[in-house]
Amino acid sequence: MFYTRRTHMNKLYSNKLIIFSLVLPGLLLFVFALLAPIILSVYYGFMDYSGMGKAAADFIGLDNYKNLMGDKAFWMSLRNSILLAIGFICIQHPIAIGVAAVLDKLQGKAEGFFRCVYFIPNVISVAIIAYLWKFIYNPSFGLFNNILKVFGFAGKVNWLSADNAIWSVLLVLIWHGFGWGMLIYYTGIKNIDPVLYEAAAIDGADARTTFFRITLPLMKPVIQVNVTLAVISALKQLETVYLLTNGGPGNSTQFMGNFLYQQAFQAGKYGYGNAIGVVFIAICLITTVLLNKAFAEKKTARRLKNGTAGE
Amino acid sequence: MKRKLLATLLAVAMTATLLAGCTQKTTPTESTKTPAATTQASQAATTKATESAGPVTFKVFSNLPDRKTGQGLVEQTMIDNYTKENTNVKITVEALDDAAYKTKFKAYSIEGMPDVVSIWGQPSFLDEVLAAGVLAPLNEADYKDYGFISGSLDGFKKDGVLYGLPRNSDMESFYYNAKMFEDNGWKVPATYDELLALADTINAKGIAPVAMAGGDGWPLVGYLSDIMVKMNGPFSDIVTNAITKGDFSDPLFKQATDLLAASAKADLFQAGYDTQDYATAKNLFINGQAAMFYMGSWEASMALDTTIDEAIRTNIKAFTMPAVADGKGSTSILAWNGGGYAVSASSEVKAEATKFLNYMFKPENLSKIGWENGVGMSAQDETAFMTGKETDLQKQFLDFLKNASNTSGTPVNDCGTATFKTSIESEIQSVCNGTVTTDKFLAAIGAACK
Repeated sequence: MFYTRRTHMNKLYSNKLIIFSLVLPGLLLFVFALLAPIILSVYYGFMDYSGMGKAAADFIGLDNYKNLMGDKAFWMSLRNSILLAIGFICIQHPIAIGVAAVLDKLQGKAEGFFRCVYFIPNVISVAIIAYLWKFIYNPSFGLFNNILKVFGFAGKVNWLSADNAIWSVLLVLIWHGFGWGMLIYYTGIKNIDPVLYEAAAIDGADARTTFFRITLPLMKPVIQVNVTLAVISALKQLETVYLLTNGGPGNSTQFMGNFLYQQAFQAGKYGYGNAIGVVFIAICLITTVLLNKAFAEKKTARRLKNGTAGE
Repeated sequence: MKRKLLATLLAVAMTATLLAGCTQKTTPTESTKTPAATTQASQAATTKATESAGPVTFKVFSNLPDRKTGQGLVEQTMIDNYTKENTNVKITVEALDDAAYKTKFKAYSIEGMPDVVSIWGQPSFLDEVLAAGVLAPLNEADYKDYGFISGSLDGFKKDGVLYGLPRNSDMESFYYNAKMFEDNGWKVPATYDELLALADTINAKGIAPVAMAGGDGWPLVGYLSDIMVKMNGPFSDIVTNAITKGDFSDPLFKQATDLLAASAKADLFQAGYDTQDYATAKNLFINGQAAMFYMGSWEASMALDTTIDEAIRTNIKAFTMPAVADGKGSTSILAWNGGGYAVSASSEVKAEATKFLNYMFKPENLSKIGWENGVGMSAQDETAFMTGKETDLQKQFLDFLKNASNTSGTPVNDCGTATFKTSIESEIQSVCNGTVTTDKFLAAIGAACK
């Protein structure tokens, strides 16, 4: 009976129409939610179009892209996005891995408690986070300046001045995204076979050795995914920046996502905004490919090294 | 064979279901029309005849999300009154703040605009809206008895055709805490130098002199425009010329920008003014942390806003930009007709939507209700509604207008395209905080015009 049912299923799944009908929903989703908008972006990237109703869209070739290359605000936004990506990789993620490792060792109620505490910023609405930090940074009544006053300083730091704003914004973004990164690393650590730790303990490995020789090497696939996601999220940063500074003062905290939004929807340059979008997609794709290649090369090198050693 | 048939049926059913979900709204054929669809079609065909009698639903898309105070309350009151008087009419409201409103306005302009919409009678907004043809023309002759102030409809016209009606007469001013001034022996400044000297005195007290919503950009450009008026008198010709040529080399721009930057450097505004938004700046003032608040006449409703502490609310007064040394416009003021309403060109109930628009602008409605709620001044003659019980702020604004030798017209940022507006509202933060020089600022806004 079981054999017969399996045979029927196999025959059903080998039917091309059935395969097509099962693949179709995913295909339609890809075409309409991803491919079509990208194609439209490429199309409008060649147009001079305000984005308002049925106003004329004039073909202007590569002019939008040429203008973009000479736009200081674009380069500032790209610089800030790269700074954020570096901040994620060099500050947020090492701390997240460390915290995840410590949480794993905590066990019991403390583990669950701190896991929740670190994840809370991710649960709170971005609007609330932005306004919360606006108050914290406020030079007149903000928390930071009040703390400085307690320690005897004048407490008149303008945390969002043209010079300080980018670092203040980076702090918020790194803090806000910390929970996600930490949770993914924590899950990665939890998936490591405890037998390996037991074996290491029997061999007399201390916590440091265990972390660098077992935890970290086995976490590499998780790190790869997490780093790729972090870089992409840095490039498409919009909501928090929009609500916190809207790219100001001037363009000092401008990020690519926010710049795209401003140009397409506020400045009436929908075509130009789409050109930014196309460049944005290209940068994301190139970054992802490079990151995948970097991680793949390491894997291959390691495999080759291990193979040689084995021989 | 059975299995093949079953597989084919499964595949066809699934594809049909998916495609059904993806299909656009289509016009049903005569034979498949439902009774509801038939009713809709016949309603569209005989719009005018049935609108007045049958049930009508239309949507107001507004930039006034606060429906409990100020202009939002006035708008909501008129909607409530209209639906009470016209029981067959149901009005739905979608209200968003300015930035979100303008973004969604664009989306609506493609997929179909709501029936009655908020608009701004300024080139930075209206030019591309009218080019897209999303607003229905209005018959100007219908409004000859509505008491619109001379020239107030001009910004809402294109090629002599009227497309919207102005809600307000706006002007900029310094709101100040009169009690704080009195307690400290501070005098309302008559000249700009006195204003800067007063700022030093106020700063010495540990209070912010002027709360400025510089993070939003436009209040800073409003301030710049105000200085320009005091330096030159009305400036529309100079600004229009500069925007057309993309050349801001006229000395007026440099002198006004230099004075603004010098004022910011002299701590006339609160610390961090260049990143603080409207709400934060206003809160500084109504909480007594700033002695003055630079904002438009629409904030005159603060005098009646019971959410503000009474000790402050009852002591709010206003003064206009003080005279600038050697300025030619000491008796001119920055005033213009900005926000208003229009009817969508794609509205299926255009006649009913226009009827509602006309109802709102009957002098006894928007003008009167607005005046009673202390919401600045309308674009219509309000003298008939004076009760003698007006707040001091209302009386002051009337005096400002009465005593002004002339008014400026649209502030600088709204005189050009949306691109120019976005550029100047961002660049002005940089010139105020000293990140860029005046020359670079003027070059940047000039480039945004090209």
